[in-house]
Amino acid sequence: MNAEEKFVVPSTQFVENPEGYELKVSLPGIGKEDAELHVEGKTLVLKAHSKYQNPAGFRQVAAEFEHESYAMSADLPEMADISTMSAKLENGLLVVTIKKRPETQPKKIEIL
Amino acid sequence: MSTIMNIDPWGFLDDLLGVPNRTFQAMRARAAGRFPPVNVFLDDNAVLIDLQLPGKTAKDVSLTLEPQAVVIADKPAVEEGKEGAQPAWSRRLDLPFRVNADKANAKFTNGILRIELPKADKEGVKHIAIQ
Repeated sequence: MNAEEKFVVPSTQFVENPEGYELKVSLPGIGKEDAELHVEGKTLVLKAHSKYQNPAGFRQVAAEFEHESYAMSADLPEMADISTMSAKLENGLLVVTIKKRPETQPKKIEIL
Repeated sequence: MSTIMNIDPWGFLDDLLGVPNRTFQAMRARAAGRFPPVNVFLDDNAVLIDLQLPGKTAKDVSLTLEPQAVVIADKPAVEEGKEGAQPAWSRRLDLPFRVNADKANAKFTNGILRIELPKADKEGVKHIAIQ
């Protein structure tokens, strides 16, 4: 473990739709095996350790990003059904989807 | 050897003098931070360019190689009935040497695009004897 590992908060997008929520987290350089996601109570916690390295033997002439590790936490909405949560990390983009609890969904009442 | 690379921080001035439509798209992209950040590495034989493009794949990005520059741009999704959509961003990097286009390669790994451009062989160089 590198004691000086630097964590940054990744950029995220949180979208609500009628059925649930979608959280998109930008994690460039992070593969599936590098990310940990868990839920503590109603809080979603993400940690991702970057293994990305600058190429050996080259000198850097422009530096606009570092090979960061990412950490964030987010409080999930009251209506979120944590048991339905699923997550997919592809091409450095993590997409977490959570459905709303069924009892919070509007019910259609048939008129007799 | 001169190895200072122009990553074009004032490129918006070129944009200003260019096509207006593109100008404002590029400026908006910068303002919104949608411009993908780059790292550039050099050695005597090649230049490596890394771009952060989370969620993107090969089909979303276009690369154009000029003799001594590379243009990296977003490839707008083709919508039916619409044509000629402008890219949301594009970035031109001047290179410190001519590159061998045949040996250039680019690969996505976990949302980071690495472009490898080997230096051109000296074949094209002509030595002229001084009489």
